[in-house]
Amino acid sequence: MESKETTNTTKIKVRHFPLDENPPHHYANWQKGIKSWLTTKDHKRIGIMYLATITLVFLFAGTMAILIRLSLWNPANHIVAAKTYNILFTLHGTMMIFLFLVPGVPTTLGNFFIPMMIGAKDVAFPRLNLASYYIYLTGAIFTVWAIIHGGVDTGWTFYTPYSIQSTTHVLPMTIGIFIIGFSSILTGLNFIVTLHKLRAPGMSWGKLPLFCWGIYATSIIQVLATPVLAITLSLLIMERVLHVGIFNPALGGDPILYQHFFWFYSHPAVYIMIVPGFGIISELIGTFSKKRVFGYWFIAISSLAISFLGFLVWGHHMFVSGQSALASTVFSLITFLIGIPTGIKIFNWLATMYKGSIWLTTPMLYALSFIFLFTIGGITGIMLGALSVDVQLHATYYVVAHFHYVMFGGMLIAFIGGLHYWWPKMTGKMYSETMGKISWFFIFVGFNVTFFPQFILGAKGMPRRYYNYLPQFETLHRTSTVGSWILATGFLIMAGYLIYSLAKGEKAPSNPWGARTLEWMTASPPIHSNFNYIPVVTHEPYDFHRPVSEFQLGLVGSEENGHDGGNGATSPDGGTPVVADESQS
Amino acid sequence: MAQANVATEREAFVQHHFVNAEQQFDTAKLGMWIFLVTEILFFGGLFCSYVVFRTWYPHTFMEASSHLDKLLGGADTVDLICSSVTMALAIHYIQKGNERMTMIMLGITFLFGAAFIGSHAYEWLDEMSHGIYPGKAYAFKGISGSHAYVFFSLYYLMTGLHGIHVLIGMGLMAWLMVKTKRGRFSAKYYTPIEITGLYWHFVDLIWIFLLPLLYLVD
Amino acid sequence: MSEQHHHIVPIKMILTVGAILVFLTILTVFIGYLHLPNPYNVIAGIGIAVIKASLVVMFFMNLYWERRRFNIMVFLAGIVFLTVFVGITLLDTLHRAHITPGF
Repeated sequence: MESKETTNTTKIKVRHFPLDENPPHHYANWQKGIKSWLTTKDHKRIGIMYLATITLVFLFAGTMAILIRLSLWNPANHIVAAKTYNILFTLHGTMMIFLFLVPGVPTTLGNFFIPMMIGAKDVAFPRLNLASYYIYLTGAIFTVWAIIHGGVDTGWTFYTPYSIQSTTHVLPMTIGIFIIGFSSILTGLNFIVTLHKLRAPGMSWGKLPLFCWGIYATSIIQVLATPVLAITLSLLIMERVLHVGIFNPALGGDPILYQHFFWFYSHPAVYIMIVPGFGIISELIGTFSKKRVFGYWFIAISSLAISFLGFLVWGHHMFVSGQSALASTVFSLITFLIGIPTGIKIFNWLATMYKGSIWLTTPMLYALSFIFLFTIGGITGIMLGALSVDVQLHATYYVVAHFHYVMFGGMLIAFIGGLHYWWPKMTGKMYSETMGKISWFFIFVGFNVTFFPQFILGAKGMPRRYYNYLPQFETLHRTSTVGSWILATGFLIMAGYLIYSLAKGEKAPSNPWGARTLEWMTASPPIHSNFNYIPVVTHEPYDFHRPVSEFQLGLVGSEENGHDGGNGATSPDGGTPVVADESQS
Repeated sequence: MAQANVATEREAFVQHHFVNAEQQFDTAKLGMWIFLVTEILFFGGLFCSYVVFRTWYPHTFMEASSHLDKLLGGADTVDLICSSVTMALAIHYIQKGNERMTMIMLGITFLFGAAFIGSHAYEWLDEMSHGIYPGKAYAFKGISGSHAYVFFSLYYLMTGLHGIHVLIGMGLMAWLMVKTKRGRFSAKYYTPIEITGLYWHFVDLIWIFLLPLLYLVD
Repeated sequence: MSEQHHHIVPIKMILTVGAILVFLTILTVFIGYLHLPNPYNVIAGIGIAVIKASLVVMFFMNLYWERRRFNIMVFLAGIVFLTVFVGITLLDTLHRAHITPGF
């Protein structure tokens, strides 16, 4: 390799490291026994533990959803009592948002793949990573305690003054979410530091896979917004326990102030939920079009732009709350602006597919569904952001449909796509493509049958969180309920074939999809230390016209245990390795 | 410039996923700075409540604040500043490899923290003896504005949250002293002291703002 | 092995900065006793606090000598977002159309 003759470069020797498809041990079996899992510092095992836990959460919260839709079968609901209905939607919302979607991709796919994608051995703070998991579990236990003792009926937003007065178990639930917030903060912190400090030689910011940019943007939001949720919940707890009078109008407080505090976190939170999804879609579209993702820097920077702008729009949840007209106007304007970076991404993905070699696998089906469903969700979001229109649509089913289109049709669809994409890498097994496509069909159809009627319901005036309704809405509600059954079927099929694949699936090769990012340059499943050499990156992550072997380059002399060797060339202070464009920082 | 590909002695304190001590130190520092930013936003919620209610009830806030002891607030501030000085000195000494002085400085920092907590306990008890409690229990009749209890609720919340952070800091000091005693730190490796120092200075920083906001409103 | 080129703050500097901070504290408490009219009391109080905070951040937390510019950006980002939070909330709370008498 030639060196640039500046004082800040070092010559390093690089060679091709042939891939061992069948190492004797991989990350899941090199150490056995439950204790080795519970005390692991390996980011991959931690990712799997998170995946198992949030799957259970999803099952529970999903069941709540089925019950909600069931109880709305008849206009005059006799299936559950009013208070029970309130508890059902509160639990569904709280569990789905705080325990499933917010941790969702970063803790599972992020934990597993970020270190691998940057050529590192682990995240920056592995012990903190494990602590994050246990903190999450502790918070989850508090919420489970609240559920067992009758749940909460305030709605996932815990608006005051009702949340101060409600006799349900608000305290353990909010304490649980407070604790989970810490887990979220620590995860975000870990990823920011990992991406800054642990990139392999040659892995400049411009060569990072777009999934990493997505997780980076998400982590920034997690770190900045979640503390405000923490203080909001703390103040709510203080309000309930000590009656401090900050949010309680009976004591001279301001309930709208609560909403400001709550939404300052919760709006960026929706970006915490979706931005990793954007990252996944970039990976899927690139790989299954066998083409460079169009407009790499536009997609990367637009993720950061969404992160930033997302902090400036929280008041669009409060247009009819009594907020000042000036604030409402400002919030509405900035809300429109957020559509721009998001739109940029959608067009870039479409441009990526144009003249690409499209391979319609299950993950690609989900990626295409994402583009369709998220666009609907996003545009209806802009409609809600129009101040005057929101006066009519606020707190109706239109809002419910909007956020399900973006969170489910967007985020969850992306998550499932990513899960299928990386399933061979994580488990070493291939799932059944046929079953994957069948399940996709049920989910796609079921989703639209469930939620599209809700746009119509909302526009016609059906309020949200109501346990019964006027007879004219019966047909649309029943359609929606039938849709939920189709959805449930799809998920059951998915659970079935994924579990089956673990036992009887075909063994997965290292790179079944022909991708070019670093995580595919190891065996499936990967070995404990990810790579047994220090990878050196010379190409961009979507250079499909270059052979895979050019992505398997590593530092000469770094064999055996990866980074043990302490060579100066890889240290941030050791100067720029010759193959990189810019120094690591 | 270090030669590439030459295997060098890996120091015991460098974790397996780091290339060298420098990378590990830089990583820890960045991690702590990010954590401090989360703390800024965490306290920020209380600061925001304060600003909102102060703009709504400026006169009540002024009157309520006059019931707090300025001199005590000032003394508390000086106490924390001194503790920051001793913390910075502790880092200075460990950078020079002087473990004994480091222990002494950490210990003095701990004592300054304890004095701060003691002073606050005294202040809180004193206020409570006058019927100034947070929230609904507020029973002090000496202020004419109708929202005085909001000021005092915020006062208790802000100083309480800050106090919790001081206690955590004191716990960290004690832990550092134990580790220093056991010879775990040296001029080459003192990362936990460095990042605890950042945390401790930050706690001082919060108090620097609490002083004018709570004690010097009038 | 790469050398750790960490800046060591001289003892004299630590003590000097500490002394300045103590002086500024005495000053700000003294000004408090002067009962300046609004908004000068706020400007004085917060102004001195900002100077003290800058001294702590730059010289005790070593940002003055910090080589990694990103650490500095991180800290400033925290301040910026806090300002956004408080500022935009005030955009609402200061411009309420009519404060209900019952409050």
